[in-house]
Amino acid sequence: MNDMVSKNRSIGNSVIRADILEKVTGKALYTADLKFSDLLHARIVRSPHPHANIISVDLSCAWNLSGVVDVLTPFNVPEGKVAPDLPILDTRVRFVGDEVAVVVAENELVAKEAINTIDVEYQILGFSVDIHQALSSGAIPIHAGGNLINGSALVESRGDVEQGFAKADIVLEESFTTPDHHPAALEPRAATAFWDGKLLRVYKTSRGIHADRSAISSALGLQLEQVEVIAPHLGGGFGSKDETRLAVLASVASMRSQKPVKIELDREEEFLAGRRRHSTQTKAKIGITHSGDITGIDVETIMDTGAYLSSGPGVVRRAGQAALYLYECPNVRYKGSLVYTNTPAAGSYRALGAPQGHFALESLIDRAANAIEMDPLDFRLKNHVSPKGQQGERVTPIGNIVDTQPVEGGIPFSSNCLRECLMTGSKMINWYDRDKYEYSTKKGAKIGVGMSMFVYRGGPGGKSSAVIDALDDGNYAVSLGVMDVGEGALTVLSQIAADSLEIGIDAIQIVVGNTSLTPKAPITAGSTVTFSTGKAIISAAHTLREQMTLKAAAYLRVPASDLKFDGTRFFCGKKTVSVRDLVLDNGGKISVSKTIEPGSTEHVINSFGAHFVKLRVDETIGSVEILKYVAVHDSGTIINPTLAQGQVRGGISQMLGYTFTEDMIIDKSTGIVLNANYLDHKSPTIRDIPKIDVVFVGENDPDGPYGAKSLGEPPSIGPAPAIANALYNATGKTYPNLPITMDRIIEGS
Amino acid sequence: MKPFVYQSPQNIEEAVSFLKLPGYSVLAGGSDILGEIKDDVVEVQGLVDLRKLEGLSDVDEAESEVRIGSMVNVSDLANNGMLVRRCPVLPLAARSVATEQIRNIGTIGGNLCQRPRCWYYRNKRFDCLKKGGDVCFAVNGLNKYHSIIGGHRCHIVHPSDIAVALMSLNASVNLFDKDGLRSLPIEDFFISPEVDVTRENILGKGDILTRIDIPKEALDCSGIYLKAKERESMDFALVSVAISIKILDGVIERCGVSVGGVSPVPLRIKELEERLHGLRVKGFCSSNLTMDLFRSAKPMSDNAYKLPLLESYLKKALDEVLSISSN
Repeated sequence: MNDMVSKNRSIGNSVIRADILEKVTGKALYTADLKFSDLLHARIVRSPHPHANIISVDLSCAWNLSGVVDVLTPFNVPEGKVAPDLPILDTRVRFVGDEVAVVVAENELVAKEAINTIDVEYQILGFSVDIHQALSSGAIPIHAGGNLINGSALVESRGDVEQGFAKADIVLEESFTTPDHHPAALEPRAATAFWDGKLLRVYKTSRGIHADRSAISSALGLQLEQVEVIAPHLGGGFGSKDETRLAVLASVASMRSQKPVKIELDREEEFLAGRRRHSTQTKAKIGITHSGDITGIDVETIMDTGAYLSSGPGVVRRAGQAALYLYECPNVRYKGSLVYTNTPAAGSYRALGAPQGHFALESLIDRAANAIEMDPLDFRLKNHVSPKGQQGERVTPIGNIVDTQPVEGGIPFSSNCLRECLMTGSKMINWYDRDKYEYSTKKGAKIGVGMSMFVYRGGPGGKSSAVIDALDDGNYAVSLGVMDVGEGALTVLSQIAADSLEIGIDAIQIVVGNTSLTPKAPITAGSTVTFSTGKAIISAAHTLREQMTLKAAAYLRVPASDLKFDGTRFFCGKKTVSVRDLVLDNGGKISVSKTIEPGSTEHVINSFGAHFVKLRVDETIGSVEILKYVAVHDSGTIINPTLAQGQVRGGISQMLGYTFTEDMIIDKSTGIVLNANYLDHKSPTIRDIPKIDVVFVGENDPDGPYGAKSLGEPPSIGPAPAIANALYNATGKTYPNLPITMDRIIEGS
Repeated sequence: MKPFVYQSPQNIEEAVSFLKLPGYSVLAGGSDILGEIKDDVVEVQGLVDLRKLEGLSDVDEAESEVRIGSMVNVSDLANNGMLVRRCPVLPLAARSVATEQIRNIGTIGGNLCQRPRCWYYRNKRFDCLKKGGDVCFAVNGLNKYHSIIGGHRCHIVHPSDIAVALMSLNASVNLFDKDGLRSLPIEDFFISPEVDVTRENILGKGDILTRIDIPKEALDCSGIYLKAKERESMDFALVSVAISIKILDGVIERCGVSVGGVSPVPLRIKELEERLHGLRVKGFCSSNLTMDLFRSAKPMSDNAYKLPLLESYLKKALDEVLSISSN
């Protein structure tokens, strides 16, 4: 790289996000803001029962209302499925709030009125609101195949855990629970579909337009080419908003009416029909020696996936990563089960199962350290997984891409600066002073310091593509199939494009949000976009530069190796040609499309971090005040520091809610969610969030784009166990159940 | 939500005539009733906006009392310098209400007349006692936020912070009803489920709450309002404590203590007031105070924590208000 380019280097600078002005001025358009002429409005009839068969649907009263155009019922929609266990509409409803029918009307008021006039005859079935009921012998199967998904647990292991425990001096076991937790994004889900007789155009809240396109076309029996998905700005994804029933219902309604049809959920519907984090019950067991070696780790988790499976298998597997990989240990086992219940469906939510898994393990680690009177930081420094990875034999055949969440040992990490995370954070929190605080109490309040550390897969996702067009105005159009879900991915990807083309970032025009204009891509999920799409952009950019250099060489009649590039022009001595002229000379566009399979055949690519908390707790009134919060992350190169800090603070803020207050409360006798609103599902507001110190450590990752690794989800993993451990330090009491609400603190459990 | 008529009468007689129509209700700030309408918890034919009625938005400092119109908004209550000086417990309680945005539209009258936050009452799917059904679902359901004292058949807690403060100030309320204007002690304004499970105060069809008066003897007191919240930025009280106290020559001369979040009506704790009355402040320590004030409390499955929390808050509030008054 020559001097001029490195001066203009965009990576490492906090480039201001491209969408910020239109968002803060309210000009940014979200799905529900889009205007259509001749638009019909649809509202959904939802089940009042947690489990029932629909015998019949009487529409006569609805048809008497002026303005009702159509009603979709399980008896008149196509038979397709939007997910393997989710038909377009089903004759079975599986939770209070499940979709029964859809009223399409000329305006929203009529649609709302009409949904109350539809008389549904139900055959009421027995229901299960929790995993114990669902797994009991008398429970009615919620789907064919039974309530335990696959009929058995996922089991992953390395070594022999029983032998490991036999070698231990002390074996500790503890049970943990975590709540149903809703992302509660500000923007509720919405979709508008318009079938013009040939093409189905769907505007929707989306985390992955190409995945949506496949799901919609396959549910409706259309060719992929007959469906176009368009996604405007997304008002919060957080891993959620990856399902398509809403869009398919709007599509069916549009195909029947031949008019555009819009469905927008209200706040309660967003809570009920959205996707929540899986609640869990976990038993964790660890064997240690007196000298502080870990001889075995055995974790068993049962997750409540609610009425539908959604991304459950990915979540249950992710919950095992801590047990299998965070500590160097030859004998580990993880057993994870997924159970259907008659409650709102769980699905993807930032870091999938990792927060649940780490909460259990990292809480237990503090107990283990305590049992042998070792400092919990020293215990972690002694036992954390090292850059060399886990001991053992590689199973993945040589030359194959290594899973980012392997079970096997014998494969080194691409980079692992966990130790630096621990050292940096412990200095910032003055870790070794923590036992002095025990007596520095204020009117009964106690001070505690705690920590947690974590490992997270992410980075490499599925096949990723980028198309870069050099345009005749000197700019570059970069077309990407992924979505910016609010985290600023497009800004980061623009930075990668600018640096790999060796041009200024102002010349980059990102094209996204429309399946017809962008290459196929996976959904924005699993903290993969910077890594995977970033690598595709680099590959396309380098190829484009090579092609342009060759074209410039031919144009100027000089050897390509003698050419230099200053960002807008190629030159060799006094001979020069601008990118614009070169593009005009090549028919107005020079285009390169690249698809890559991201990943490494040699390394496990993981991100790491450690969170440290100092807090004050008053057990008499149940209050906790966070005095200092330090988050240290190893995510390789930080491409945009301001956006990266925002990701960390956002993830922690969200999980402070998970730790202290948030829980979807379900009435046991009816299956009704009692707090499906912003008042009673107590998400913290910005005024509830303490100052959070964010530090990035680590090195450029050899496999990542410009050395970057994943960052979007890891910040969500640290908070709950760090806080529970700080409370344990302050009070000597364990807090194995989330959320750690005021009443639990007062009652001391 | 069904469409309804909006009326904006010019005077109180006109307002009353609208309010006597079937299905008509008062609209003050609207932050509560509009939510109930949108959530299909209540249905109205019409809303009668009191905004144009004269005199309802004034705060007057009269010789014998302070008079606060029922349409004074919560923000103005929170920031009124005279109130901050003369009866600080009231602005402190007002400041703890909801959020800035809601305080800006919410009124003192609306705050006193707001409906309970019980999640069974607020959910259209539960036909609870308060809505004319047969059951209080909290009894065998999830009752973490419900009452521990005086629930009888219906276990709501009264949600108003301001009511708790006004109780400690021995305030009275003025109503316009079929007999014209009348005044009554605030304690008589709230009614328990035992009296009528479908409402929380004595206002009947067509009645309007016009004014709240704070008597002279409660003015120029020190005061404190403490509220236990799960979410600091915006929450209803798990428990709350209001104390208004006057100290003369180192002795507690007048003292009003009331609590919220534990009962279907705000509770005045007369027993504690009597124990505190005449007490010398110097050397007082709340930890020596045996509580045992809530012998009638009957916590349910999920809300036993409220009792120790309430006792801790009472002690904390006493300590803090005494330290303020002695300075």
